[in-house]
Amino acid sequence: MRVAVIAGSISGGFRIAREMESLPGVDVFVVACNVGKRGPLLRWAREILAALKSLKRGALAATTYRYARQGRLIILHHPLDEATSIERLRSLQCDVGLHAANVIYREPVISAFRLGILNAHIGILPGYRGRCVAEWSVLQGDPTGVTVFFIDPGIDTGDRIVLREFVPSRGWRSVQALKNMLFRCDARLYRKALEALMSAEFSFESNEVSNGRRYYVMSRLLTGAVNQILATTLIAFG
Amino acid sequence: MDLETALSRPVQLDCCEGILRGALLTRRAELRKSWRHLVSTECLASLGALGKEVESFLSRQDTFRDWRFAVTFGWMNCGASFEDSLYAIALAHNVERRQSGTSPEPLCLAKFNKLSRDERIEVLYNRYRCPLNIGLASESDVAEELLRQLMVPDRAKLEAGTEFDAEMVLLKLNLVGVRAMVTRDLRYLDAVNYFYELPRRSLIRMRSNPRLLSFWLCIYAQLLCTPEW
Repeated sequence: MRVAVIAGSISGGFRIAREMESLPGVDVFVVACNVGKRGPLLRWAREILAALKSLKRGALAATTYRYARQGRLIILHHPLDEATSIERLRSLQCDVGLHAANVIYREPVISAFRLGILNAHIGILPGYRGRCVAEWSVLQGDPTGVTVFFIDPGIDTGDRIVLREFVPSRGWRSVQALKNMLFRCDARLYRKALEALMSAEFSFESNEVSNGRRYYVMSRLLTGAVNQILATTLIAFG
Repeated sequence: MDLETALSRPVQLDCCEGILRGALLTRRAELRKSWRHLVSTECLASLGALGKEVESFLSRQDTFRDWRFAVTFGWMNCGASFEDSLYAIALAHNVERRQSGTSPEPLCLAKFNKLSRDERIEVLYNRYRCPLNIGLASESDVAEELLRQLMVPDRAKLEAGTEFDAEMVLLKLNLVGVRAMVTRDLRYLDAVNYFYELPRRSLIRMRSNPRLLSFWLCIYAQLLCTPEW
């Protein structure tokens, strides 16, 4: 299976790619795309800053060299939607894309991958679509977790769910800490999703959109309430 | 879900409800003090007798009317105009209404979004002449679209401080607020919370429509002291 991590930065792409590398039968590519259509100076300044923040700078440089030498690091200079970028993606002949960039995917980009693009959504689908779903789940007393599914051009409406993993919110002191933890599950769950896709007995779960609701960015008032709920639960349950 | 999580859910829900209620009442107390920053003395004066009523409603203790019955009532007709019916709802009066034997045709959102700004306003004013109808299950798609428009493009404009259509935004905020009253859907309440928290410089531009601005704040005041979300 050929897999491409679609990342907003090279270091971000490698973070996910590392987890996939050891999967038997998987070839990993990293596609670094130009999020926000930044000029070359700003773009590379951000890349260097991200690399400097990395604790393993030496390893990052070595990985970059290795991927570049093997033709597995692709740097897109144009926006993802542009014909030249789509053509480049198609030329990789990948089966699956892994979402790791802050971009919205349109149909031509999605269909550049044989099976589509996977997203690790930090909420349980089909119930919780959209934004701030971790905090909305806590507020409404529902379980928190991550859903890995194949996206479509809608907001979390892609029909094919590969896996859902419940990750308790208990033990996390704030919304930000909880969300950071859930976001960090992406590499592990992408790996698990690829393993599932490659297994013979795998079948998709359907994302029944009519069984869920779309959520939006949460107000400061309710975010404060969720922080209080998390703190209270932490004290009550230890 | 594991057994431990399942068993602790009611405990957590009790805790959520208590904390949520506390947060909403704290905001109500804050609104009681700060609403004058949004509705100026000139705005109130321009409302005539209604101005006094709005002032008294926003400044006094918590008042709310339970509109949940509307969910089961079916489509309602009002003799009064949209604004007069909205006034009654906003100030927790009774709404003169009668059950309609038939519901209007579902609103086609694709067609609705292609209409001109004035036509869209007219459609909303006519369809929701009795504003409680926005809370009906049959109106879910329209309500979801109004919520999306508020929380995506309109929010972005107000946050950026760029030009926005104050009447249209206020009309949507009022309808979304009424939907929250009828359905007790927290997402609709939170859209109102979110707009109240937007930069004051954007909100102050809503003074161009003092009636809808006042009704929105009165509806918000009621939502904040509504129990059982």
